[in-house]
Amino acid sequence: MSTSLKPILLVEDNPKDLELTLIALEKSQLANEVVITRDGVDALDYLFCRGDYESRHNGNPAVILLDLKLPRLDGIEVLQVIRTTPALRSVPVVMLTSSREETDLLRSYELGVNAYVVKPVAFGEFVEAIADLGIFWAVLNEPPPGSTRVARRSAQK
Amino acid sequence: MNPVMTSGRAEQTAAARDLLNACEREPIHVPGSVQPHGVLLCMDENLRIVQASESADVWLSHSADALVGRECADLLGESDMERLRTARGRADIEESPLYIGVLTANARHFDGVLHRNDQLLQLELEPTRRGQDMGFGGIYPLVRSFVSNLQSASSVDALCELAAQETKTITGFGRILVYRFDEDGHGQVLAERRDESYESYLGMLFPASDVPPQARELYLRNRVRLIADANASPSPLHPRDNPLSGAPTDLSFSGLRSVSPVHIQYMKNMGTLASMSVSIVVRGHLWGLISCHNAEPRQVPFDARIACEHLGQILSLQIEANEERAQTHQRLELRRILVGLLSAIADRDDFVAGLMSSPTDLLAFAGAGGAAILFGGRCELFGDTPDEAEVLKLVDWLSAHSSNTVFSSACIGRDLPADVVSMGDTAGVMAVSISQVHRNYIIWFRPEVRRTVTWAGRPDKTATTAEPTMLSPRHSFEAWSETHTGCSRPWSAGELDAALELRSAILTIVLRRAEEMAALAHELERSNRELEAFSYSVSHDLRAPLRHIVGYADLLRELEGEGLSDRGRTFLANVEESATFAGTLVDDLLTFSQMGRAALRPTQVNIRELAESVIKDLDAETAGRNVRWEFGELPVVRGDPAFLQMVMRNLLSNAVKYSRGREPAVIRIDGEDTATTHVIHVRDNGVGFNMKYVGKLFGVFQRLHRMEDFEGTGIGLANVRRIIERHDGHVWAEGETGHGAVFSFDLPKP
Repeated sequence: MSTSLKPILLVEDNPKDLELTLIALEKSQLANEVVITRDGVDALDYLFCRGDYESRHNGNPAVILLDLKLPRLDGIEVLQVIRTTPALRSVPVVMLTSSREETDLLRSYELGVNAYVVKPVAFGEFVEAIADLGIFWAVLNEPPPGSTRVARRSAQK
Repeated sequence: MNPVMTSGRAEQTAAARDLLNACEREPIHVPGSVQPHGVLLCMDENLRIVQASESADVWLSHSADALVGRECADLLGESDMERLRTARGRADIEESPLYIGVLTANARHFDGVLHRNDQLLQLELEPTRRGQDMGFGGIYPLVRSFVSNLQSASSVDALCELAAQETKTITGFGRILVYRFDEDGHGQVLAERRDESYESYLGMLFPASDVPPQARELYLRNRVRLIADANASPSPLHPRDNPLSGAPTDLSFSGLRSVSPVHIQYMKNMGTLASMSVSIVVRGHLWGLISCHNAEPRQVPFDARIACEHLGQILSLQIEANEERAQTHQRLELRRILVGLLSAIADRDDFVAGLMSSPTDLLAFAGAGGAAILFGGRCELFGDTPDEAEVLKLVDWLSAHSSNTVFSSACIGRDLPADVVSMGDTAGVMAVSISQVHRNYIIWFRPEVRRTVTWAGRPDKTATTAEPTMLSPRHSFEAWSETHTGCSRPWSAGELDAALELRSAILTIVLRRAEEMAALAHELERSNRELEAFSYSVSHDLRAPLRHIVGYADLLRELEGEGLSDRGRTFLANVEESATFAGTLVDDLLTFSQMGRAALRPTQVNIRELAESVIKDLDAETAGRNVRWEFGELPVVRGDPAFLQMVMRNLLSNAVKYSRGREPAVIRIDGEDTATTHVIHVRDNGVGFNMKYVGKLFGVFQRLHRMEDFEGTGIGLANVRRIIERHDGHVWAEGETGHGAVFSFDLPKP
């Protein structure tokens, strides 16, 4: 596993969406480590190196893939904290959502989201969208054939 | 005066007005003299005589001049003086003369009446045949029988008949008339009792000028007025003026006050040398008079006059009660109709429909022949009304000239300008303005009522024989008829009140309805918000599982597809297809719900350019097909370009879809202009539809075709309708199975 690449932080509570997103990331052949957190509080703990993540080495992720609807703190609230914290402000954030709601979208852009992806129903399209995002925001690495570039962290605390 | 007159009346009116004006100027309450059948002694508070009438010479055997400066005690005995002193202390002698009993002076008996006016104690003495101790016992049976008969009289006319009869019995005058003053002041004779030698005046009208205003004022103060002999010379007061004030003595309350020369002449012209009037006062107003005439001079004893006064008061009370009963009855009846009208209004969504549902009540309510309701630009007519153009002209005039809530006229020919009046048979109008801001009215119409009036003498014959400088009353009392035209039955105070009441009830109902609408709007807003929350949740929660189904099916196919049988792969494909379609449905539904909420950003939109860009987008769908596009003249409209693009896209892609298989498919886009709208038509030569289902076309998820024939979620046209309606436009469609369809919408011109 390469440690020279910054990880991708994926914040997703739904296990099926999580699995499908990871498969999509896998299919897009990104070399970055994928750190998984399951709600907004957990995600902020990671970003601020506190709680369960106290011991991790410092450094911001390459990109944060943030689901909109999350338990405890939702995606908009997490985004708000990120954009008002000087150390985190410059981290790219991609909002992933089921919603086509205009209000969510407007709010996200107001808060300075870098991209906004409405998860399409067709899986193929989703893989394409994730791949595009990865290419744009993360660092593309030539993976060894057949190897899995995804390191999964436990969903449990 | 009555409003519209036949020709010839105009001159008469002027003449009568001159006379009336002259009469009005005559100071009849300070004639400086009394009638000679009695004596007036004016005293200061010490009962010292300061003024006396010349008749003292005849009745008291002292010249007036000799009496002035003497004590009253020099004339009257001690017991009479005692009565006088007691009366002097009473407060009520200020307001009306007080009978103080039979007094004795110069060995004669007199009825003595005392009142205070103009700083003087005015003692009037009238010779009487009754002795010192006789009361008014004789008149009691007369009045009693009158009162008991009154109770059985049911109408004002019947009451007047009785009063005439009774007054004739009491006074013995040759002719008794009971008349009432109409709203113009003319006296209409309601009842008459006369000896055969007297002419009849029953039903006739005495013009208002016969009784000038200051005389009416005196009739209110003195309820009985006797002129015993028109030929008798008045007996002047000595000295002429009130020594305490230096001005002519005010004789307003004096029963002996001498008569105006004009009135004396009037009596002589009428052939009566004695007359007596009893006032009928209802609710403080001079309602009418009992007028007694006698060809020869006639003295009416004091007690008989008291009886007549009493009779007049009873009659007044009875008339008042009778009128109030009639009014109450009328008001109750109006109220009954009003309640009916209001419940009809309350039953319906708008009050116009409510009023229209009971036209009989609407007319009966105002005793009208026709009615018009003008509300919110509508004009509804019932019964006999002028035509709509005339009614609108009337409304124009009303809104410009009448600031009152109620306008009424029984004579529009007199009260309205000539260009508003051409209303056929209509002569009376009562209009209630429902709104101060808008021109909303309820108007009632009454037809002309031709009325023949008989005057007691042609009034224009006044003052023709006398010298021009001398004020002279009319000479002729011969009946003279004229026909009144151009007027309807007058609108009564009760009817005007009821119209106001109807108005305020309508306002209450309209206001309540507005409140209900506001509550409804509030409720709608709430449920709209709920719906928003619902679609939000659908958007998130319903899409996720569909996405998972499609995702896992795809992965299954990818990973294990090789191992599946053909059937298994078909099933898997069906799973994916169905879930994908369900996802599309959810997305379309969300678009639809967003359409209702998203803000419009209107700008100029060129329909031709819009159509061409949409056609370009449809390339994929028209590829390999023979589609001919045609354009008519197309407008530039005002609207939200993104939304209108969606409308065009839906209509054109439908046209492409449903003309599948036509060779060629012809799709034509036309424009059409009306005064207020731009209309766009999209016409195809496709499969069309049965007009039976036209109502379903624009509903959500309504489909007229099988899925295998024509794909789609059935939401496209619902979106079209929603967008167009949010632009304040309309959508509609025409079609025929197998013969194509035309879908149209219009947008208001800016």
